[in-house]
Amino acid sequence: MKKFLITFKGQQYELGVEEISNTTTGVTTTASPAPKPAVSVTSVRPDSSLESSPKPVAAIKGSGAQGVSAPMPGKILAVHIKAGEKVKRGDVLFILEAMKMQNEIMAPHDGSIANISVSVGQSVATGDQLATFG
Amino acid sequence: MSITQDKIKGLHERTAKVMAGGGQKRIQKQHSLGKFTARERIEMLFDASSFVELDRFVTHRCTNFGMDREEAPGEGVVTGYGTIHGRLVYVFAQDFTVVGGSLGEMHAAKICKVLDMAMKMGAPIIGINDSGGARIQEAVDALSGYGKIFYRNTLASGVIPQISVIMGPCAGGAVYSPALTDFIYMVKDTSQMFITGPQVIKAVTGEEVSAEQLGGANTHNAISGVAHFIADNEKACLEQIRRLISFLPSNNLDAVPVVENFDDPQRIEEELNTIIPDQSNQSYDMKRIIAKIVDCADLYEVQPYYAENIITAFARMDGQTIGIIANQPKVMAGCLDINASDKSARFIRYCDAFNIPLLNIVDVPGFLPGISQEYGGIIRHGAKMLYAYSEATVPKVTLVVRKAYGGSYLAMCSRDLGADQVIAWPTAEIAVMGPAGAANIIFKNDADMTTKTEEYIKNFATPYQAAKRGFVDMVIEPKETRAVLINAFSMLASKREGRPAKRHGNIPL
Repeated sequence: MKKFLITFKGQQYELGVEEISNTTTGVTTTASPAPKPAVSVTSVRPDSSLESSPKPVAAIKGSGAQGVSAPMPGKILAVHIKAGEKVKRGDVLFILEAMKMQNEIMAPHDGSIANISVSVGQSVATGDQLATFG
Repeated sequence: MSITQDKIKGLHERTAKVMAGGGQKRIQKQHSLGKFTARERIEMLFDASSFVELDRFVTHRCTNFGMDREEAPGEGVVTGYGTIHGRLVYVFAQDFTVVGGSLGEMHAAKICKVLDMAMKMGAPIIGINDSGGARIQEAVDALSGYGKIFYRNTLASGVIPQISVIMGPCAGGAVYSPALTDFIYMVKDTSQMFITGPQVIKAVTGEEVSAEQLGGANTHNAISGVAHFIADNEKACLEQIRRLISFLPSNNLDAVPVVENFDDPQRIEEELNTIIPDQSNQSYDMKRIIAKIVDCADLYEVQPYYAENIITAFARMDGQTIGIIANQPKVMAGCLDINASDKSARFIRYCDAFNIPLLNIVDVPGFLPGISQEYGGIIRHGAKMLYAYSEATVPKVTLVVRKAYGGSYLAMCSRDLGADQVIAWPTAEIAVMGPAGAANIIFKNDADMTTKTEEYIKNFATPYQAAKRGFVDMVIEPKETRAVLINAFSMLASKREGRPAKRHGNIPL
């Protein structure tokens, strides 16, 4: 990885340029003129992979677009929502105690909760409906 | 004009005809669907002007049903080789503009030729699928074509990386060539894979489903696990493939690629000391740990939307590719189930086949209980993980950050499955089962059960019982993990390990 300091519009940027190995043996060539310098740039984005691009796949998973279901058997420890409440994708709706853990059951998409099918202390099996969206 | 000049002109005319593919109208149609042509895709995939085309003038020899009058420039598939990041890679790209990219005898022959060459030269092959399926007019010749490709895919498996890209329809028998390869890429909205299409399903079972719902990119990335990667569009997809290639060796005899590393191998990460919650029943995001450990927080996840309770990813440690298998406590408590076992076993075997060292990060509460898991065969699926880890002879380093209980502890590459180094954080809980459950059995009839349970947790939900027996090589402060792991992989670089001679093992499938 080569580091460059670049000044652009008065701002200084540090840029890392990584040369992907260009021999078939997989040895890095740091020196000498490579036959065809195939340069790919890996920018220094801390934790980039965490926010990385395609975020598809929401509604299609689980019990379908219309509800939230239990991903595994366990006990409902807490219900964080009320019927009629609006929720955003990723909001924690329930805490499900299962597999030695308090698991956060999150909203698969934005919407409003039509109906809550479980109460605190109730045991649920895989696939049991916990709430439905309106 | 001299005879020679005439011949040269003739060559140019023939070439121009092939380059035009199915003609302007069909190319426009392709573009209007958000799709590129076979040649444009190859152009984007390879290093600039590195592509060399083979078999440009191959034509079919079918005369059935008026096919003798049907011209198919290039036989509906573009084949050849070029470079990605300067490394040799072979390609075939079906051309939907030419007879629907349908596969006939000679179309298949072109694909087989590059597959054979890729194997001989020890270079990856990338197949871009965009085809209406078998060329029906060619009857069993077309069928035989598929068979020949399947056979070569299988022979090449574990010898060279095989990458399939679905950029259009891929139905019926055609799906099995991609299925036999190592990685499948799909593009949102424009690619579908299925054995039987929506019409057939409707006719046979009465179920109504759209092609995209049935076999689109979302379906195969999140539900079926058939595909490994998803991209928003074709350009992004081809860029992803270039990235994947940068992690992979060219063949099974090559060492993994090493890139110059500019991330401090000795980096101390204070944040790792606080990442594990105080309560062992609270979750956290395992990807935060991985990002702090690997070079530049850079990881490339394989099947990121399938069985999310386990993470499989390529990353680099001090410039060298490694494969990571890590439990994800945030999803289903990070337990092992049928899909997680399948996903990780296949990834482990891929890494082992191509000399990619394994890093296993463990925080696993156990195997998921339930009737559907048992009926679904969790026993034989879970066994795949045990098999894959035991079979693997690449360097295997296991890092236990928290829970490691019972059979799932073994399944995550414990010392006994051949881990070369087992490293634990002080937060590790390595035990035969959860402490509460264990105490419940041991102190069942005891009056002061609560006190004894607490005592049990203090003594047994730790890494030290395992360390006493040497099942754990070292217990380290979390912040120094990166340096310790890099050291371990460097120490293991010269690892040689044999296995008894056999025709092949019999992994429970």
